[in-house]
Order: sequence, then structure tokens, then C-alpha cells
Amino acid sequence: MVRIIVEGDDDKKLLIALLRNLKLGDKNTLSDYFTTMGGKAKLLDFEQEKYKNISSQIELDKITKVLFIFDCDLEEDDKKCGGYEKSEECFKKLKEKLNWNINIDYYIFNRNLDDFLVDTITPETKHKCFTDFEKCIKLKEIKPNRKPISNLYRDLYPNKPYDFSHENFNSLKQKLTNLFNE
Amino acid sequence: MDLLTDIEIKNFKCFDDFKADGFKRVNLIGGKNNVGKTAFMEACYVNVYAQDIYSFVYSLVDIKFTREALNILANELINNKNIDRKKFLELSNGILIISNLNKSSYKIEENNGIKKYIFKFKDNNIEVNVNEFSLETLMLLNVRFIDNFGLSNSNIKELYSSIQKKDKEQFLNDILKEFDSQIENFKIIDDKPQCKVKDDYIELTELGDGTRHLISIVVSLFQTENGYLFIDEIDNGIHYTQLDKLWIIILIASKKLNCQVFATTHSKECIESYYRTAKKLEDEDITFIELGKNKENKIKAMVYPYDWFVDEIEQEHEVRGW
Repeated sequence: MVRIIVEGDDDKKLLIALLRNLKLGDKNTLSDYFTTMGGKAKLLDFEQEKYKNISSQIELDKITKVLFIFDCDLEEDDKKCGGYEKSEECFKKLKEKLNWNINIDYYIFNRNLDDFLVDTITPETKHKCFTDFEKCIKLKEIKPNRKPISNLYRDLYPNKPYDFSHENFNSLKQKLTNLFNE
Repeated sequence: MDLLTDIEIKNFKCFDDFKADGFKRVNLIGGKNNVGKTAFMEACYVNVYAQDIYSFVYSLVDIKFTREALNILANELINNKNIDRKKFLELSNGILIISNLNKSSYKIEENNGIKKYIFKFKDNNIEVNVNEFSLETLMLLNVRFIDNFGLSNSNIKELYSSIQKKDKEQFLNDILKEFDSQIENFKIIDDKPQCKVKDDYIELTELGDGTRHLISIVVSLFQTENGYLFIDEIDNGIHYTQLDKLWIIILIASKKLNCQVFATTHSKECIESYYRTAKKLEDEDITFIELGKNKENKIKAMVYPYDWFVDEIEQEHEVRGW
């Protein structure tokens, strides 16, 4: 069985919607594919109890493939593992320490999930309105992340919260397809 | 009484070479059909039962007897055939079960036409010529195996005395009333277990399977004080809305009576109820044991301690086998 390891419930929700869209996995038990770690720091900490549990399941061939998905965040917010390069470096250390003898892949969101989502807002879903609003209320000065905008986007388009046809999803889609099909 | 915490099973039913450890006071076992849930419990049962030659032989015959109960009944009633207990015993030829409590094995050897049974347990090594073997057995009072049908009338009657000795008749009555508000109390009348329903006593056989199973579990818990209780398909006949009550009884009584419990289930509702109840009672002395098969088709056990089990259920992971 495959396991997708993510930071939290928002990531899991987005990825479940994407798996449904791609018709990957058993649609009735999509939650079964995910482990939420409770944040990036915990996801990159090999001593987490959840990893001991997963290690045992790997030893018994219950879990046979793993995909890690997490945010790279900003370097200034996390000197150790912030930014793409350092995130990748921290992940490689984690992978080495976990020492799992199975197929492991990873995907790192550029900045974070909220930025990733806001970037996929299209002209049809009023991209300009969102960016103008963001500038107008000076969101960056109030909150450095774009969670309010991504939440607003999700609330306003509840039936189509994510535009999976957007090219930004391509690489993530490929990773998921490989995970389930290879 | 020491807990059975780990086991190694060789050459027993579907287990060629199997190991598992980390068992706690209460252990629920899940897994797909025919993966060996009942056989796993039988191995544990035989291992804790092998206290002397008589109890060891009893357990080896009993595991086959329990599985064959329906066929035996049919044969004896319809075909008037008696069961061959020696044949039952010999089916376990070659078993080796090692736990933290006991190293038990049984094999048959034949030399120059002389057939011998060799029993090893608790540092004993007993060799018996088959022709001289009496098949005398001993039943241990504090180790009990309940099959998916529950106990027979005579067993319930026998075990009810342990409830009477502890003056817990009302406790059982209260449980039955909560289980089915129409049941007022339970008694042995004319040598038969009976429940009072709407002012009349009716025989247990006239009530649903769930009532028999529940009574079997409660009387067995009291009987197995300082011992071991094995329950096959624990939720058999029990409606899902009653499962939390069942687990509360098991978790509280097993702790109070110092009894280690192993049980099997197929049901997701039963597993979720077990999780919910253990969490509510803050009882971390439990495990969930998931049986599955690895790439080489060998049976393996994933033993989840309390924290891992809670996390698996909260993350909505499938734990009913792989």
C-alpha cells in the first residue's frame, strides 16, 4: 500500500480532492493513504512516534511506497529548513535517518500550500480581483502568508475550490500518478 | 499471573514460523478471512494452558473440538459416531510455541513400529508410548476460550457459580438490562440458563445469539480471574450500538480481575468502539493486533500499542488486514 506523508489536514484535503480528480486509489478509503504529521518541523523530525509506526508497517510490507509532500516556506522564517534548497537538504537528512528500504519520493510546495493555491486562481475565478484586494488591504504587512486569500478563495468557490487543470499542478499530478501506477 | 507478552509459533495450522510481541492486558485482533486470527489465539491458549501433561493434552484436543463442535454434534446425533480424541490430539503433531511464559511443543515419533508422543512444556520432557497413553485431561479454571457461538448451556451454568461466589448476580442482571431493557434478570432454573422477560422466564436458547455471547463473556471474565480469556468474534450477534458497553465491561473487569483478554473481530464498528472506549477510560494497557501477509505470503503481525492504535484510527487508516 502507498502512504502520502503531509504536514496537516489542509494538505490532506487538497490531495484527496486531487486523487479523486485523477481517479487514483480506492475512492472509498482515500484517507487511508495519508499520514498527517502536525506541521513541517514534525514532518522533518525522524524521531516522531508516527515514523516508528510507519517503519514497522514498512518492515511487514504493509506500506510499500511513500511520497512526502510539504511546504518549503520562507528562508527568513526558518533558518534551518526554510526555502526550497534547505527544505530539500533537511528532507534528504530525514530520508537517510529513516533508512526505509522502499521507493520514496517527495514534492515540495513552492513557498507553501496557500501561495500555491492562490497562484492557481485563474481569470475565470477572478484572479485580478484577488490580487487587487490583497494589495489594497496590504495583506503582506498584516500577515506574511496568504492564508486569508486562499481561505477566501476556498469559501467563494466551494464547488470548485481547486483548479486542477492549472499547469502548476502538473508536477504534483505526475508524482501522484507515479506513486499509484508504478 | 504474568501477562503473555510475546509469542513464537512454529508448524501450527497456518503458521510456519511466526513471531509477535508487545501484547498487553487487553488485545483485539483484526485481519482478513483465513489469515489466522483464531489460530493465533489458539496458539496462545495452548501455550498458557500447557502447565502439565493433562492440561496440555486438554488444550490440544479442545482447540480441535471447538472448531469441530457442529460436525461432532451432527455425527454424534445423526450418525451415532463417537469422536476420536486421540485423532484430534495427533493433528497438532510437530507444533512448537514459545512465549515469555512457556516453551511448549508436541510431536509424534515412530521407531521400530513403536509410536511415541513427546510433550515438552515448562522445562518438562515427557515421552509416552501411544499404547500406554490414557488421554487423561485437566481443565484449567482460569483459562477459557469462547468460540463465536458463545458457551454451551452447561458451560454457562458451571461458570455462573463464579459470579454467585462473588455475589455479582445483580451486576450481570444490570448488564443484561442495559443490553436489552426487556430482560429483568438471569437465573439457572431446572439446570438451564434462563432470562426473565416480561414476567416470564424463558430459556437462553430462545433469545438471540448476542445475549448468549454477552452472558458467556461476562461469566468467563469472572471465572478467569488471574488468568486468560480468549474470545473469538467478540461482536458476534451484538448490535453495534451495544459495543461500547461491552468494551467498558471488558476493560474494567479485566483490570479488576487481573485477567488478560485476547479477542478477534472483523468489524470496523467493533474496532472503533474499542478505540473509543479505551480512550474514554484512559486505559493504555491495550493493543490492536493486525494480521496480514508480507510479499512472501508469510503471515505477519503488526502490533499497535495504544498510541499507535489511536493515531491509526484517528487518521482513518485501515487496520483490518493487508
